[in-house]
Amino acid sequence: MNYLFIANACVWLGVGGYVLFLARQHSVLERRVRQLEILDGDE
Amino acid sequence: MGMFRIYPKILMILAGASMALMAVGQYAIWYHAPEELTMGLVQKIFYFHLPLAWWSFVAFFGVCVSSVMVLWTGREHWDVLAGVMAEVGVLFSGLALVTGSIWGRAAWNTWWTWDPRLSTTLVMWFVYAGYLVLRSADVGGTKGAKMRAVLGIVAFVDVPLVFLSARLWRSIHPAVLASKGGGLEPEMWTAVWINVLAWGALFATLVLARYHGAGLKRRVEAALIRIQEKTLQ
Repeated sequence: MNYLFIANACVWLGVGGYVLFLARQHSVLERRVRQLEILDGDE
Repeated sequence: MGMFRIYPKILMILAGASMALMAVGQYAIWYHAPEELTMGLVQKIFYFHLPLAWWSFVAFFGVCVSSVMVLWTGREHWDVLAGVMAEVGVLFSGLALVTGSIWGRAAWNTWWTWDPRLSTTLVMWFVYAGYLVLRSADVGGTKGAKMRAVLGIVAFVDVPLVFLSARLWRSIHPAVLASKGGGLEPEMWTAVWINVLAWGALFATLVLARYHGAGLKRRVEAALIRIQEKTLQ
């Protein structure tokens, strides 16, 4: 039973970590796109 | 670039579908599939170990096909897709290795053994992890894309070996599809296919999300070049 829980936890930690990494990267890039588009418009 | 505007909507639908399918998959694992007589509850690791391994094969096949398309068409988006597929494939095969190791500890009383299936899978993981490290080296332009494409095609050599290893050589790893029915009850097969579908939906979501991120990165680079050009004028 313990092994099943450990395996399940490993899988969800792995997937969750990757999803968090993607979410963080997206929010940084989207903010940068918005900043640059404003700057591009001002120029 | 127009496609990048509809991606978020498709992503939301796919993410919702994967979450729903995952919930059904978890229900099938914990409540629908019967407990295996010899191994007990630990056998249930199989219901996410198998889909993770299968979808990592699909990912690496995707890397190979995308790499062929890079050489054939020279279009940049195939190169991006190859990188995205490799990343998700490394994640999935890594998790398949970890869950397999935990299953091995319970079934074989060892975390690792140099069995043909396990060894070829570990080699496959290192090959694609190395491929990702090489991709991170800043070699741009057509030459860089072609170099990555050749690597993506060569790397695929190990993948059929992993799949066939349990049939070709003496292996202690079970070959589920090799035997008729795989020794599984019909309810167990239901749990297998629901989870294969759920992990497939998650795989598609992650690939699309990463590809969308690559599009955003391209928009940042394009905007930076435009601003630089305007400043120089």
